Amino acid sequence: MQVFHIRYRNAQGALMRILNAVSRRGIDLTSVHAEYAGHDYAVTMMLALSHKQSGQLYREWNAIVDVIDVRSTSAMREYEPGAWAPHPPASETGAQQSVRAALA
Amino acid sequence: MPLYDALEGSGVRHVLTRHEQGAVFAAEGYARVTGKVGVAMATSGPGATNLVTGIADAKMDSVPLVCITGQVRTAMIGTDAFQETDVFGVTLSLTKWSRMVRTIDEIPEVIAEGFHWARSGRPGPVLIDIPTDILKAKRDFSGPAKFSPNTRPSDAHADGAFADTIVAFLQRATRPVALVGAGAKLSGAIPELRRLLDELNIPTFSTVHGLGAVPPQSPYYLGMVGMHGTRAANMALHETDLMLVFGARLDDRVTGDPARFAPQAKIVHFEIDPAQLDRVRTCELPVIGDLAETIPAFHAELRKLLIRTGETASLPDWSAWRTVACGAERAETDPRGLAQPTIRFLDELFSRLPEDNVIIADVGQHQMWAAQRYRSSSARGFITSGGLGAMGFALPAAVGVQLAKPETCVLCVSGDGGFQMNIQELATVHRLGLPIKMVIVDNKYLGMVRQWQQLFYARNYAETDLSDNPDFVEIAKAYKIRGWRVNEAAMAEFPVSAETADLIESFLRSPEPELLVFDCHPEANVYPMVPAGAALSEMVYEDIE
Repeated sequence: MQVFHIRYRNAQGALMRILNAVSRRGIDLTSVHAEYAGHDYAVTMMLALSHKQSGQLYREWNAIVDVIDVRSTSAMREYEPGAWAPHPPASETGAQQSVRAALA
Repeated sequence: MPLYDALEGSGVRHVLTRHEQGAVFAAEGYARVTGKVGVAMATSGPGATNLVTGIADAKMDSVPLVCITGQVRTAMIGTDAFQETDVFGVTLSLTKWSRMVRTIDEIPEVIAEGFHWARSGRPGPVLIDIPTDILKAKRDFSGPAKFSPNTRPSDAHADGAFADTIVAFLQRATRPVALVGAGAKLSGAIPELRRLLDELNIPTFSTVHGLGAVPPQSPYYLGMVGMHGTRAANMALHETDLMLVFGARLDDRVTGDPARFAPQAKIVHFEIDPAQLDRVRTCELPVIGDLAETIPAFHAELRKLLIRTGETASLPDWSAWRTVACGAERAETDPRGLAQPTIRFLDELFSRLPEDNVIIADVGQHQMWAAQRYRSSSARGFITSGGLGAMGFALPAAVGVQLAKPETCVLCVSGDGGFQMNIQELATVHRLGLPIKMVIVDNKYLGMVRQWQQLFYARNYAETDLSDNPDFVEIAKAYKIRGWRVNEAAMAEFPVSAETADLIESFLRSPEPELLVFDCHPEANVYPMVPAGAALSEMVYEDIE
C-alpha cells in the first residue's frame, strides 16, 4: 500500500482528473480523502499498486494543469521523519548523478 | 444560435462541415499543419458527443485544439433536458483542460486560459462548455483577457548539466542511434535537431509522426521505425546500445514487445511531458524540457567537448556501425525492387507532387504504405491519425489543411473503408471549392484488419469484406467532383505508360478538387510487419500461411 498526497487548485474537474488517472488503470480506490488545505486543496489516497504504476501515476498527476504537488509515502511509514519521496519528474542534473549514470 | 447570430460580421471565419466529427478533424488538420490552435464548435448533446473522437485524437497526437460546445441553459443542467449531455464529464479524461462557463463575466478569462493550455507545454485539446443562457447574455467587452499561469517545480527547464551524462554515454557507445518523434516538430526545434544529428552522424529513424523531421536523403537516415517500419530501422533499434529519443512516446507500435525492445540499449529521453516517460520502457536518463532548449543545450556541450579534445579523438569511430545499419536501407529504396503495385502507385504520385505539398493519410494499410514511401523533408508535410488511429480522419483533416494552406497541393490518401466514414465532407470540399486531391486505395476490404485475419486468424475474413462498395467515382460526381480510376495493371510497367503518367499529372495539377480511385489487390499486404507481441527483430517480409 502506498499513500499519495496531492495538492491541487480546486478548479472544475481537477479532483476528477486526479481520480481518473487511477481508475483508468483499473486500480481500486481503497481510500480517498479530499479537503481544503490552506490556499489550495489536498487529496490523500491509499492505493495498492506496482512500482511502475506508481511512477506512471506520479508523472500523470503532475501533467494535470491544476495539480501543484505530488508526494507519496509507504502506508506503514507515513509519519516517520524524512519519509517523503522526492518529486520524481525532473531531469537529472548533478555531476555525481552524471558520473554514476555513465558508468552504470 | 446566439453564438452564430453574433458570429456574423465578427471577422471570424466559420466553416460549416456536414458532421461535427468533420469539424473537429478539420480543426485538427488546420492545427497540425500550422502549429496554431484549431477551433471546433458544436451544439449541445449529440453535437458535443460527435466531437469526442477528434478530442481523443488530439490528445493522443498532441494537437492544440479548443472545442467550444453549447450546453442547455444553466437552470436545466442536470435535469436530462433535451439535448443535454455532460460533455464536460465525458471528455474529462481526454482533455488537457476544460471548463463549463457559469457566468458571462468568466468568458474572456476562460477563453484566454483555454488557448494558453491548448498550445503550452505538450499541446492538447481543451473543451469549453457554455450554457445557452450565458451565450444569450450581454456585457461590455474591453478586449481579450490575458492569462498568466502559475509555474510549478515540474515546469522547470532542464539546465544543461544533463549534457555531460549524454556525452559520457556517447563516449562508451559502440552502436548509438537516434529516434525522432512528433515532439521534435512541435517544439520548433527541427533546425537545431538537424544540426545536432549532422554532427553526431549516427543511424537515425523516425516515428510515423516524426516523418520529415530528418531529410530522408541524409546518409544516416533509415526511415520509419516500428510495426511497419523499415528493416534497417528496426534492426538498428534492436541492436543499439544507446538510443537518443527526441520527442517520441515509445508507444507499443514503435516498441513491439516492450520486454525485448532495444534490449541492450541505454535510453536518453528528451521529452517535454513527464507523463510520457517510462510508460512502456524505463529510460536511463530523462531530459525533461522543451526540446527547443534542451537540444541546443546538449549540442553546445557536445561542441565544447569536440573543441576541447580534438574532433577525431573525442567520440568513438562509428563508421563501421553506420555502414552496417545504413546498408540495408539502400536496397529498400530502389523502386525497381518494389513489386507491390500500390507502393509503385504511391511512388508515382509522390514523385510528381509539387514541392509545396502536404500528404494526409487516413488509417489502415494505405497509411502505412504512404508513410513508408514518404520522402519529403517538410516537417509538417505528413499528417495522419497516429495514436488513436481514427478512420475517417483524412478527408475532413484535408479540409482544414487546405483552408490553412490555400496555395499548397493537398493530397488526401484514404482507404475505401475510412473514406466512407466521413464521406459527407465531399459536400464541404465542393462548397468551398477546395482543390484537394483525394485518393482512395480501394481493396474492397477493411484491409489492415483483413491482413491480420489472413496472417493470424487462418484467413477468417469476418466482417471485413467491403466488396459491395459503392462506385466512388459516381459518388464524387454526385457531389460535383470529378473522379478517375487507375487499376493495378497500370503499375505493371516501369516506368508507367505515358497515359497513366498524364492522368496522374493532370489529377495533381488540377485547380479543382478531384478524386482518384486506385483498384488495389484485395489481398495485398503491408510489409515489413512486426506481429503484435513480437520483438522488432522478428519482422515478417512476406505472406505466411
